Amino acid sequence: MFRRQSSYAAVASGNAGSSPSNPVPARSGAFSHLANSGSHPHSITHPRHSRSFDADGHHNSMSTSLGRSVLPSYPGQFGYLNGYGGAQDGATSAFFVPSYLRGSKHAEKLEEVHKARIAAQREYRSTHSSNAGSLSTSSSSANLHKMAPSHRGLSHDIIERAPIVVEEPVAPWPTRWSETEKFPQMEVDDNGRQAKFAGAQKGPDEAASVRADYPMPRQCGIYYYEVTVVSKGKDGRMIGVGFSGPKVPLNRIPGWEPDSYAYHGDDGQCFSNTTSGKTYGPKFGTLDVIGCGINFRTGTAFFTKNGHFLGNAFRDLKPNMPYYPTVGMKKPGETLRANFGQEPFAFDIDKMVQAEKASIQSEITRGTGPCKEKVSTDETQFIHTLVGQYLAHDGYVETARAFAEEVIEEVKAVLNDENAEIPYQETVEDLDAINRQKIRAAILDGDIDKALKHTTAYYPSVLRDNENIYFKLRCRKFIEMIRKCNELNAQCHPIPTPPSKRSTTSTLNNRNSTATDDYDFEMELDEQLGMHNGAPHWNHPEHMDDEDELEDKEAKLAQLTQDTIQYGMELKSEFATDPRREVKRALEDTFALIAYENVRESALAPLLETAGRVPVAEELNSAILVSLGKSSSAALERLVQQTEALVNELAGDGGPGAFINVRRDFLQ
Amino acid sequence: MSSSTVSVSAATPTQHPFQRKVDEIKPSKTDINFVVMDYLISEGYPRAAEKFAKEANIQLPLEEESIQSRVEIRRAIHAGDIDTAINKINDLNPQILDTDPALHFALLRLQLIELIRKCTSSQTSDITPALNFASSQLAPRAATNPDFLRDLELTMSLLIFLPSDNLQPQLAELLKPTLRRQVASKVNEAILTSMGTRGESRMRSLVRLRLWAETKAREVGKDLPPSLPLGLQDGEENGSQTNGSNREAVDVMVQ
Repeated sequence: MFRRQSSYAAVASGNAGSSPSNPVPARSGAFSHLANSGSHPHSITHPRHSRSFDADGHHNSMSTSLGRSVLPSYPGQFGYLNGYGGAQDGATSAFFVPSYLRGSKHAEKLEEVHKARIAAQREYRSTHSSNAGSLSTSSSSANLHKMAPSHRGLSHDIIERAPIVVEEPVAPWPTRWSETEKFPQMEVDDNGRQAKFAGAQKGPDEAASVRADYPMPRQCGIYYYEVTVVSKGKDGRMIGVGFSGPKVPLNRIPGWEPDSYAYHGDDGQCFSNTTSGKTYGPKFGTLDVIGCGINFRTGTAFFTKNGHFLGNAFRDLKPNMPYYPTVGMKKPGETLRANFGQEPFAFDIDKMVQAEKASIQSEITRGTGPCKEKVSTDETQFIHTLVGQYLAHDGYVETARAFAEEVIEEVKAVLNDENAEIPYQETVEDLDAINRQKIRAAILDGDIDKALKHTTAYYPSVLRDNENIYFKLRCRKFIEMIRKCNELNAQCHPIPTPPSKRSTTSTLNNRNSTATDDYDFEMELDEQLGMHNGAPHWNHPEHMDDEDELEDKEAKLAQLTQDTIQYGMELKSEFATDPRREVKRALEDTFALIAYENVRESALAPLLETAGRVPVAEELNSAILVSLGKSSSAALERLVQQTEALVNELAGDGGPGAFINVRRDFLQ
Repeated sequence: MSSSTVSVSAATPTQHPFQRKVDEIKPSKTDINFVVMDYLISEGYPRAAEKFAKEANIQLPLEEESIQSRVEIRRAIHAGDIDTAINKINDLNPQILDTDPALHFALLRLQLIELIRKCTSSQTSDITPALNFASSQLAPRAATNPDFLRDLELTMSLLIFLPSDNLQPQLAELLKPTLRRQVASKVNEAILTSMGTRGESRMRSLVRLRLWAETKAREVGKDLPPSLPLGLQDGEENGSQTNGSNREAVDVMVQ
């Protein structure tokens, strides 16, 4: 029995031998290893080292070979991590959302990708900070990652997050002028914002162009950037601002080549695909701010000068060509500075995007039905059905009844005394709905046992057929037990215990814990469960005067802790052999709750939130519905899904969907 | 994430790629409950809203005082008691009708229709009240707007044809409860807008967005399955066959 406890604790903390006074702040489990190994680097065998020695084979030149062979192996082993981190460093500091794209779906997606990267980086840094600077520990830690199965480290995270990005790449917007996609004598500096023609002009037709790092994303609907003419050089003002495809030669001014479009400063003409321009706007020169935008929905492009709209310039844009912001110059010394949205724009592009949104909005409101009035009446009934079905489906029994009554009242009032048939039925009292509501309520209260009991009683096949849900419920129960331990512990120890005094806390716990000869791990568990000490909702201090009550609570806590451990062991033994990856991972996450000293501040904090009950409750509800031969999601839910998917379809190529953020504009 | 979804979708082996995209979207229950609550409040179902707040464990939006009045106004309009409705609207905020002549005219016309209905219910009835009301209340307004005038003329022609079981469709429309519903819902929106809140419920916007998005997507030839069912029919099959109008509504969405 006690031995099994010990093995459980070993799993829970990842390391049976870690001492309570462990100095590593983040995780007392797997990483105590690393910290220890960091202080004694030579006590660990490093496969990399040995290999490099073997390869080198010369003992007399060991130190030099170490320097030579280990260092190059560093990027080899860690290259993808480091390269990743390094590349992201640049993007991290440069991440911005152009004002007119704030709140758009595409900006949200890019921000999500960005945040995921930052999180991956932070985890990388925090997990590696303890052994930073020591190459040998880094490599050993990498090996430990692979060896420690109960630890979910960075390598996992990157692997698991990457597919999201790969499966559905979110097109980034331009951030700077490209270092490679430029005429050789074009100088790019100021973090890629400034482009200057540094060379001498060779032929009358030759020019220097540069493209931005990314094409203008169609998903934005409208994309817009501005350049300021810093200097038009000594004798020229042959400057072109516009956009071009990825293969357009860079020794020509944009606008003169196929797939390139530009507005030229020397004559104010606009050029598309040829050297013959058409009259368009005023000339421009030093200190003028020129804006260039594409409306992908209409397939048109426009320019602005010093905040004034100059009208549509092109209408022949290709629907599938990636267009990069492009500038070109002809005279040495000509310098342009770009604003891809890092700064406020001179032109009120926000207003233009708003107007575009509003016009699409009014198109939606007007409705597309052939006979609007008819649609609107049917719409009312349709919504009644939709809401009624949702309430019944999701088990909001009382609401469904009240809603049906009110709707029928309304319908009767309309039909007056005509006594016509009412197109709504009285709600059939649905026993299933009541049962489902009970089960949901139990889960939402955190009473998993009750939910399990009801489910087994009413729908015995559901848990049998949906092992994953059964597993999630079991895990949730464990989480709820840990939650309870936390709360109780907080009540027992209302005085915030600083880390240095932790031993006192342990002794206190220890005194009251049921007799057990290997209290070592339990103490640790108590402590970790008691990380809630400083939380604000502990009991009022005066309760503490009541010694009896305190004792009572501590006895309870001890019992609960015992139960939690017991339950954890059962859970572990029941599912440890499960080969499924998601089960393994969920187990790891759940048990990691104990491994963390401060769960509330760890990456796993969301697991403890009561909000985590909702998805479990919903999943069980869906499974029960499926078992009853009903659809797993309500029509309203499907309607939301379809709407989002349809809008996504309409956004991908810069269509009207690009201007709609379903969640933000319609659901909140 | 949820493998239950996977097992459900696995049941249909030949799945359209778009359906997979639909399944991948995980709408948040919180959002949906918010939309439902918004609908109950803004379209005036106070008892359901109260229950829903309890059952879904969400906050009832700050007891918005107009909801009871809005329900009463709606009831009055639905019952054809336009006089009461207009008084109540003016009690709430006299500005609403003053600043929206079209809405005011629509209400008055509804009142005229009710008068005509009453006057012509038997052969012996007197149509003078209807004529008086039309000339005193509606005629002055109709003079300012050709649309109003056309509506008034159409309404007055009811006097000639009623009572009749065989009205031409245009006239029959005027006597249908649909018109009362439309006016009631316009009044509701006007009240909400006058209070600075969203006039149209999010639910309604969402339903329209769904319709618009599908129409648009089909217009530009996106690869979609021939129909995008919502699964409402399931419930209807259990119900009675008298559900024709509902089915129609569903079909509008599904087609």
